[in-house]
Order: sequence, then C-alpha cells, then structure tokens
Amino acid sequence: MRYNELTRRYFDRATAAGALTGPGVARGEAGSRAQGTWVRFDIRVDEGPAGRLIAAARFQAFACPHTIAVAAWVADQAAGRTPAPALPQDVHALQRLFEVPIEKLGRLLIVEDAWRAAIRALDEETEN
Amino acid sequence: MNPPAYLDYASTTPVDPRVAAAMARCLTADGVFGNPSSTGHVYGAEAQAAVEAARAQTAAAVGAEPRDVIWTSGATEADNLAIFGLAQHAQELGRHLVTARTEHKAVLDPCRELERRGWRVTYLEPGRDGILDPAQVAAALRPDTVLVSIMHVNNEIGVVQDIAAIAEVCARHGRTRLHVDAAQSVGKCRVDFAGCGADLMSLSAHKAYGPKGVGALLVSRRRGVQIEARQFGGGQERGLRSGTVATHQVVGMGAAFGIAAAEQEADGRRAAALAERLLAGLAALEGIARNGGGVRAVPQIVNLSFEGVEGESLLAAVAADIAVSTGSACASASSEASYVLRALGRDERLAESSLRFSLGRFTTAAEVDRAVAAVTAAVRRLRRIAGVCATTN
Repeated sequence: MRYNELTRRYFDRATAAGALTGPGVARGEAGSRAQGTWVRFDIRVDEGPAGRLIAAARFQAFACPHTIAVAAWVADQAAGRTPAPALPQDVHALQRLFEVPIEKLGRLLIVEDAWRAAIRALDEETEN
Repeated sequence: MNPPAYLDYASTTPVDPRVAAAMARCLTADGVFGNPSSTGHVYGAEAQAAVEAARAQTAAAVGAEPRDVIWTSGATEADNLAIFGLAQHAQELGRHLVTARTEHKAVLDPCRELERRGWRVTYLEPGRDGILDPAQVAAALRPDTVLVSIMHVNNEIGVVQDIAAIAEVCARHGRTRLHVDAAQSVGKCRVDFAGCGADLMSLSAHKAYGPKGVGALLVSRRRGVQIEARQFGGGQERGLRSGTVATHQVVGMGAAFGIAAAEQEADGRRAAALAERLLAGLAALEGIARNGGGVRAVPQIVNLSFEGVEGESLLAAVAADIAVSTGSACASASSEASYVLRALGRDERLAESSLRFSLGRFTTAAEVDRAVAAVTAAVRRLRRIAGVCATTN
C-alpha cells in the first residue's frame, strides 16, 4: 500500500494522539477494535470573548494509516474552531486530500461519527 | 537513509553470486547457449550436458534420482502439474483428494478447481501448532481417494510436517498417491524424496538462492507414478512438460540446490542464532504470540502476532526499516487475514497484526537488531495511539 505525503506525515507524527482529562472534556467514539477500526476524540472547550472555542482536541485510534492520519488531521485542525458536528472538510474531500482508496471510505465515516459523538457529548454536557 | 533490511527470504531470495556466475555462462555466444534438444551439434550437446548435470545436482540435493526430475517454471506449475496430472490419470479409480487448510494457494486453488469439476476434497485442520497428525490423514482417506497433497515446510509459519508418517498412511491405503509441496524446504531442512515415501514433490529455485522462473516436479519412477501432461508441443521432459528447457535457469537451480545442500547445516545454525536474537530482542514487548515455531519448525521463519496493533499500520510503521510479510493478505477495507493463521485458531485481528520475519543466508545480526528496534518502537507507538496496554497471552 502506498501513502501520499500528507498521509505519511500525519501517520508518522500523529502529534494529537492521546487523551484529555479533567473537567470540561467531552469524549466521543465510533467503530470497534473487533471490526478493525475504532476512533475516539476528546475535546476541551474554552469560553472566551468570542464564544465557545475548541481549546484542544486529541484522538486515539486502532486503525489503518489512512484513518490514523485523517483522525490526527481532524484533531490538529480543531483547535481554535467553534465546536460543530461537521468536519473541517467532508469525508469525500478528505478522501481526495489523503488519497484514501475508495474501498476505505467507510473508515473515514467512522472518523466523522467519532467526531460527531464528541460534539454531541459536549452539547449534552453544556445542557446539563 | 539505508534501504530497509531484507527479512523476507521465505518470499524470495537473492540469487547467490555463485549461482549467477553459473547462469551467466549459459547465455552468451562464448558460453553454453545452444538448445538442449538440438543434440545434432556440439552447441546443443553441450547444453544438454549442462541440463543433465543440473538435473543430477538437483536430484542429489533432495534424495531423488535424476530421472525423477521434471523441469517446470516454478513450484506453482509443479503443484498444478502434480494435482491435475494425477487427477486426470487416476480419475477412473476415484475422484477424492485430501489436503490441508494451511497449504499454499498453488495447491488450494487447483483443489478448488477440481471441486468445481465435480471432485470431492477433504481439507484437514492442523492443530494450533500448525502440525497435522498423520491419523487425521488416515481418517480422511476413502476408497475413492487418489491423492493426498501436504506441504513439507509451511511458508508462513515454518512448521515441518511429518511427511514420512503421512506417506506410510497413504501406502497402507493402497492406491492413494502423496504429493508434497516442498517449495520452502531446500536449504532449510533435509529433503529425502526417495526415503520419505512421497510420490510427487514440487520444488522451487528462487526460495533457495536460485533464479525465479524455474522449479521442478519430482515424479517417482521407482514407485511407478504416472501423471498426464498438461502442456504439449515437443515432448520434452518425458513428454510431461513440453517446451525448450531454459538451460541457464535449470543450471542456476542445480547450482543453487547443490550449494543449499552443502551449506544447509551452517545456514541453519546461523539462522537459529539470528532467530534467537530476534526473539530475545522482542521479549521486552508484552502481548506477542508466536505462530508455529517450536521443535518441528525451520529456524529461518519466525511469525509473530502483536496484540493491540492494527496490521496495516504495523507494516507501514516498520516499512522504512525492514522488509517483511504481514498476516493480512491485502491492505484494503476488504483485507483478509491470513487463512493459515486463521486455521491455527488466531482471531482475525491478531492474524492481521502478524509479521513474518524470514531470515536467510545474507541476514546479519545488525539487520536483526534494526528489526528489533523498529518493531519495538512501532508497536509501542501504535499501542499508545490506540490507547491500549497489551496483555500477555
């Protein structure tokens, strides 16, 4: 399997890998290890003059290099953004950007589902 | 950066320089370039002599008679010739075969094709160690069983089947012939075609420091084995494999097998020491399971599963440092875990997260150390990304 430069870079570095702890951290996950792909996001939000912004995001993944790279990219892009269920780019754009084989599109949907679950958890926490 | 260390000798080997030199002498006008079938002149006669010398070298290396050796393009062709050739010859006696789930595709796919044509095939399940009990073979034999096909050394996990005991079972049954895929065997363990009681045996040159594109099927003349040809046009190789014999290829195979037989013990000792070094180096990692191995295995093949890491990512993470094979047949959404490891009872995820390290004549301790460092770093990093701590098996 060949990987493009972007995939290789985010897979090799994966600087946003890890977990967040403490108050105000929302967590969402999707997929399963048993099925071969599992992704989790942790998000921490700060309230500032400009409203709620993502202060930090981390990911964990049991997944192929493409999925790890995309999850790492999503976590990297998140800081400073307003929390929203949509990824910074939709999965088809991400598929093209990372040159993910079409048969792996379902794995990118798991990344998207994990992100949405984290945002949902954040919203629920805010409501409570 | 240095190229990755090559630890995939079970996939293929580089041609030994001594073999390459022997082959080169058969290519150009100042060498043995004639058609070995054109024996009416000196060029053809020289080529024929070179082919027959290679046949004798090959036979001697595996305990066969030169007349048993039928040159082929490799072990896959030899497997096909053995299975279809025997099936066609013996179909009036019966239409049942026995093989194992852990065989190479070059055996399994012909068996499946015969099933499609109405034959019955029994697929034996080896134990969790990869070893078949000869009693399993005995239990599978039926009055209409005409062929048993069992590999000698498994290409993924290195275990060695007790061919002599299986041959005894077949002989007791009467008319059942035994075919052995020994593509991985030469140079890794002793091969004794006549002594083990097999009727047919497939061999490959490129697994033993010979060239790709050449192999042989041994057909025991002493045991009166008969098969039907699959290829026609010239009647070469006792009419079983027509086509001009590639002198340089078979000379390469003969030279490679001669060297392999002479250096097998020394190669084996070196490989065993390197395998121990690899296993000792990786011992600090928890959650590793050895696939195969043990007493009945060649030292050159070490297959390990790593808990808590995804297979494709593991391979990608070590690819810059080492060239190895993985337990996943295809790195895609529909990737299929190794059917051999699945047959041993490994779950799909663990089968996919396996690496096959195969060591060879040119492997160095430094390359093994590089593999240890690369795999250790990759497994720890991927487990950290996956948020898992391995549990020991």
